[in-house]
Amino acid sequence: MPVPGVPILDGKYPSSMDLYPLEAKEFNRIHQFYENLRQKRFTTTKCKKCGHVPFPPRVVCPKCNSDDLEWVDLPTQGKVLQFTEEVAGVPLGFEAPLIHALIDLGEGRKLVSRIINCKEGQLKEGDAVKLAVFDIPPMIIEKKGGVMDEAKRVFFAFEPVKR
Amino acid sequence: MPERDVCIIGGGMSRWGVREASIIDMAQEAAKECFDEVPALKKKDVDGLLFASSYCGRRSFQVNIAPVIAERIGIKPTSMCTRLDTLCAGGSSGIILATGLIKSGMADVVVVAGGEKLYTPQRWETYYSELASIDHDWDGAQGMGLPPPYFSMTAQEHMKRYGTTKEQLGAVSVKNRRNGSTNPKGHFQKAVTMEEVMASRVIVPPLSLFDCCPITDGCAAVLLTYEEKAKELTDRPLVYIRGTAQVSLHSMSMNWPGEHLADWLHLRTAAKRAYEMARVGPDDIDVAMTHDCFTISEIVEMEDLGFCKKGEGGPFVESGQSDFGGKLPVNTDGGLLSCGHPFGATGIRQAREMLHQLQGRAIRQVEGAEIGLTHNLSGLNVEHTILIYGREP
Repeated sequence: MPVPGVPILDGKYPSSMDLYPLEAKEFNRIHQFYENLRQKRFTTTKCKKCGHVPFPPRVVCPKCNSDDLEWVDLPTQGKVLQFTEEVAGVPLGFEAPLIHALIDLGEGRKLVSRIINCKEGQLKEGDAVKLAVFDIPPMIIEKKGGVMDEAKRVFFAFEPVKR
Repeated sequence: MPERDVCIIGGGMSRWGVREASIIDMAQEAAKECFDEVPALKKKDVDGLLFASSYCGRRSFQVNIAPVIAERIGIKPTSMCTRLDTLCAGGSSGIILATGLIKSGMADVVVVAGGEKLYTPQRWETYYSELASIDHDWDGAQGMGLPPPYFSMTAQEHMKRYGTTKEQLGAVSVKNRRNGSTNPKGHFQKAVTMEEVMASRVIVPPLSLFDCCPITDGCAAVLLTYEEKAKELTDRPLVYIRGTAQVSLHSMSMNWPGEHLADWLHLRTAAKRAYEMARVGPDDIDVAMTHDCFTISEIVEMEDLGFCKKGEGGPFVESGQSDFGGKLPVNTDGGLLSCGHPFGATGIRQAREMLHQLQGRAIRQVEGAEIGLTHNLSGLNVEHTILIYGREP
């Protein structure tokens, strides 16, 4: 596809314009989070030494500096504490209404996430929501000999639990 | 070398708004006005430049911009020449760092400048680039880059918990747009009525257009030096930097440090430290520039900076306590709501207005102002930065 004004970028993947994480293992040591996400698991790292479970996942425990970590599951269902429905000024890559909610996941964790598969005016405080995983555009990674490799990606939001 | 007291002696701004100009152009405009305020200063006296800009890399395709700015404005730094990025607090970060450098003797005369060219030739890029302002892989990828949704939830929480009303949010906008109506450098010079505010188009309920600061191009610059040098360079009253703090307790929204979204623990932490360093309390502050990126922000700031009790920010602004004639005038030059918010420049704009207030030459002067406070919050409310200025060291 031609890029007006910058023809040298025709057909190129400009990762600096990518709104999603560079998830591929070649670029990301918490690649496993996205592999787990693909299995509909919402995970983070737990420190095997001190037991700390931070989110987002790390490569080093922020509490004790150990790098001996393991993947553990977080709840995939939560309750809406507050939400907003953005109708104007939605950034490119998202559609209006862009709904965000502060979700109580339990275990003392509150997360702000996008809510998908939900019409404007439908969501209420106290509603149950669950993890939703979806495909996003792949990263195009240059390999030896100029071969272009497609690294498939998924990302997450939450969606209402059907009553 | 013993510690030196540090003064701010000059300030300048480019015109702010949707500018037909590059960041390099606007930096020159701001520096010119700053140098013009201190005619005794020779450019060879300046030994340091700190330039605050978050978006020059992405939107002007220029990283390491400090040497570019130094060359264009005609200075040759020998102590420090660097860029810094604290998004909305970049300019204040520069002033804090310059204070430390001068206080310790590592630098003598430092220009702290900053700014952004946020408007790109196509508007999609202007908005899209905002996604880089927050924790990219987590909150950014959720579409939280433009902050209205987050501050909408903050406003909802404040309304539910303390009974704050949409009119009280509007009172902040009416005050700041009135203050800004006589500021020739700001984005807007037009006051708005409560009727206009209440009727304005909804952005994210309960926030409407006039509850949100605009996207703005602009630069600003201030000049800092030690007390003895300041006395050589200017006959105006000296204005000292007395207290500083910058607090970061989290980055991703899941790790929010407060009890709820209208409870800004990181701001209270910063305020405590800055007040202690300045040996003053909230009741000693005569004038303040606080970070009114949204109307609700200024209301929470009145509380967590200690100007009123928690939960009473709404009545505080509605009854005129943050206006001229009240307890302490806030955002006397129009704040972000009227001047706009070219991130790296905002803390410097606040410092310039504070300099003018404490020297008794502001456009809208607070009579007898001797101690002032400036404040920024950064990004998705992840960092709070405070400076306290005074007529005494």
